[in-house]
Amino acid sequence: MVITVNISDLGTSNSNEDKIITYSLGSCVGVSLYDPVAEVGSLIHCMLPLSKVDRAKSKIKPYMFVDTGLQAQLKIMYDNGATKKNIVAKVAGGSKLLDKKSLFRIGERNYTVVRKILWKNNILIENEDVGGTKSRTMYLVMETGKTYLKIRGEEIEL
Amino acid sequence: MSINVLVVDDSKITRSVIKKTIKIAGIDFNKIFEAENGKEALEVLGNEWIDLIFTDINMPIMGGAEMIEKLGDDGLLKTIPVIVVSTERSQTRIEQLQKCGVKAYVKKPFHPEEIKKIVDDIIGRD
Repeated sequence: MVITVNISDLGTSNSNEDKIITYSLGSCVGVSLYDPVAEVGSLIHCMLPLSKVDRAKSKIKPYMFVDTGLQAQLKIMYDNGATKKNIVAKVAGGSKLLDKKSLFRIGERNYTVVRKILWKNNILIENEDVGGTKSRTMYLVMETGKTYLKIRGEEIEL
Repeated sequence: MSINVLVVDDSKITRSVIKKTIKIAGIDFNKIFEAENGKEALEVLGNEWIDLIFTDINMPIMGGAEMIEKLGDDGLLKTIPVIVVSTERSQTRIEQLQKCGVKAYVKKPFHPEEIKKIVDDIIGRD
């Protein structure tokens, strides 16, 4: 089954038959987490770095923000049997697609908060493709635990 | 093989970042020793068995370059792989250090993943 993750959303799976996909990561950031031992995986698509800009919204839509979203994603992974030691984290997005003058640097800030939260959780990033002015499609294949990116029609393994 | 690591830097924050990286990167380590400068590091090296050294260059009392030079004078200590983690930007200086047997060079500021990758390369993990 294909699980589509919308903007400010999260997809989780523990089925080998699933593929979790998110489209159009611009300044948004996508994080795929996979535990090969527990065979559980998840993919998040966050829009903004910190929930403090709108606490009320972060209660309803925690996945909108990197801080609340990624924490929630990690908790779901742990609840499904994943361990910090085994989690493989991959990050994509954080580009300056609509902000070419780098006025707001949302992409860069999203990525910085991802790094901070993973570091706090003792998780290193296995691989990443961030920044630039590209739009990225990201997906996690549960059968292999591999994460792929599709950029301008070209597919690469992350 | 469990390795003993020595982290030499006058900044406590840098030492703790390197230490934490070693701990969470799945590197099979036994003990991590710390030193604030080259002189302290040589004392640790005199008392403990060390398999891998991370060192800064610019430190008070004794800098990293002088320490590396002293390691070169000792038949046993010169075999220990050294990774330099420094703000040093001079290419000539970096090349000089590599001639003295420095295995890798990490420019500050660094991402912890760079440390993991270099250690993996040196100790031969995939």
